[in-house]
Amino acid sequence: MNPAAPTLSLDDVGCVLAGRTVVRGLDLELRRGEVLGLLGVNGAGKSTTLRMIAGVLAPSGGRVRVGGEDLYERPELARRRIGYLPEVPPLHAELTPVEFLAFCARLRGLARGAVAAAVERAIERCELGEVRRRPIAALSKGFRQRVGLAQAIVHEPELIVLDEPASGLDPVQALKLRGLVRGLGEEHAVVLSTHVLPDVAACCDRVAILHRGELRHSGPVDAGAEAALRVGVARALHVVDWQSLGAVATAEAIDAHHWRLRLQSGIAVEAFARAAVERGFGLRELRIEDGSLERTFLAIAAADLPEQAA
Amino acid sequence: MNAVALIARHEWRRLAVQRFAWTLAAVAVALMAWQFLLSLDAFVDLAPKLGGLKNAPGVTDLVAVPLLRSWSTLLVLLVPLVTMRAFAGERRAQTLPLLLASGVGNARIVLGKYAGALGFVLALTALVALMPLALGAGTALDYGKLAAASVGLALYAAALCAIGLACSAWTAQPALAAAAALAINSLLAAIDAGARLQGVENSAINYLALPTHLQPFLLGLVGSVDVVYFVLIVVVALALATRRLDTLRTGAD
Repeated sequence: MNPAAPTLSLDDVGCVLAGRTVVRGLDLELRRGEVLGLLGVNGAGKSTTLRMIAGVLAPSGGRVRVGGEDLYERPELARRRIGYLPEVPPLHAELTPVEFLAFCARLRGLARGAVAAAVERAIERCELGEVRRRPIAALSKGFRQRVGLAQAIVHEPELIVLDEPASGLDPVQALKLRGLVRGLGEEHAVVLSTHVLPDVAACCDRVAILHRGELRHSGPVDAGAEAALRVGVARALHVVDWQSLGAVATAEAIDAHHWRLRLQSGIAVEAFARAAVERGFGLRELRIEDGSLERTFLAIAAADLPEQAA
Repeated sequence: MNAVALIARHEWRRLAVQRFAWTLAAVAVALMAWQFLLSLDAFVDLAPKLGGLKNAPGVTDLVAVPLLRSWSTLLVLLVPLVTMRAFAGERRAQTLPLLLASGVGNARIVLGKYAGALGFVLALTALVALMPLALGAGTALDYGKLAAASVGLALYAAALCAIGLACSAWTAQPALAAAAALAINSLLAAIDAGARLQGVENSAINYLALPTHLQPFLLGLVGSVDVVYFVLIVVVALALATRRLDTLRTGAD
């Protein structure tokens, strides 16, 4: 393994299934400490890409490298270094979470003596303590999803691959999952697929948008300067009032007391809020709108619509 | 523990908590126990008459071997029910990625699943073989013949399990996998029935039939030709199952 190599790199990866090109010419890189969100509409090729990254599916062309080594020349790399949660969690429903996770830990090559501690750690991280001895078949969908996530991290892999991890979770569970993924991203490299934009904005450092099997956009998830701010104020203001702050690049009125603002380059949201309060604008609401990502995503998704209609 | 043993042990654990496996085992062993008691009863009635005959068949020939032969017939039906879920069940439940993403090679996954299914079938076979062995406490048994018959049954079960596993890898429907395995087992069990009716017992078609190679073991003869036949079936069927997993990985399914 080359320590300088990225944790994951995809070089011109393609996949043909049943004669149809599902993914083509995909280039991606991911390093430890990064969370990459794979966005795309249904059928964009997200799950197929993740299956190739996880070693479940062989690419028809190109290379998938983990730590600089080709996954299909050395498939055993996947054993310790990759954790994978498919869209449907692969659970053996007749077992309890503890039994199932112990098997997964051994399957991933953990020594017998290290299994109990690894299972405990995964149970704690995924908050499965209260259901640890119940058969998985008797668990709710949310708990099953968490057991699925626990099996992907029980062996502490370098690369964690999550396919729609928030699927089936209620809003509270989804919020906790975001926190968990964010935490995992500090120690591991994480790639997750979703079509929920707020998930990407909340968890990911970078985003890659797939459409019709091609990478159409790749870049950082930046909720700072480029994102719009939705601001609620008590006073009736004019555009000139915002411009007088010296921090606002553009201001667009939504209604009498709500505005959509873009800050000037280099201005932090905190500095803007302080200035608005000091000027007595009656600041009541301040929310970052991840509109840039949404616009990019929708523009890419809509790009082929006329062709489809034709 | 290597991956093959780990997967095999996991399969046993999964079977141990399934009502289906326990029911199957209970019904099969009860059927065999019933036949054993009927055979024993008939033998007890017949024993006084046999006493006057020279080279009269003993309890091994009249109770133990027929019981093991019946078990071999029942295995044709029972083994597909044990193996049907090995891969087809995993594919239907969408749990196969757990194994495919584990970095364990396809051949080792197949061997692990095979060892799991075969272990269960051999445990049942051992239970059935124990029934006539229990008679050893009160009468003289031909232990050599019983040992040969047990070895033959183990090889026979190994071949049936391999066929069942290959069928299970071929489809995502457990019922279809069981039906296909039953059809192949039945074909191999009866392929030379017509030839036998014509009195032909030493042709190529006889060589293909499973009972042709089990029969010598039941008579107490362990022949290398028969061992090779069963081993060949196991190797070919497991190679086909592995090939099938290779195909699933390329998405050609």
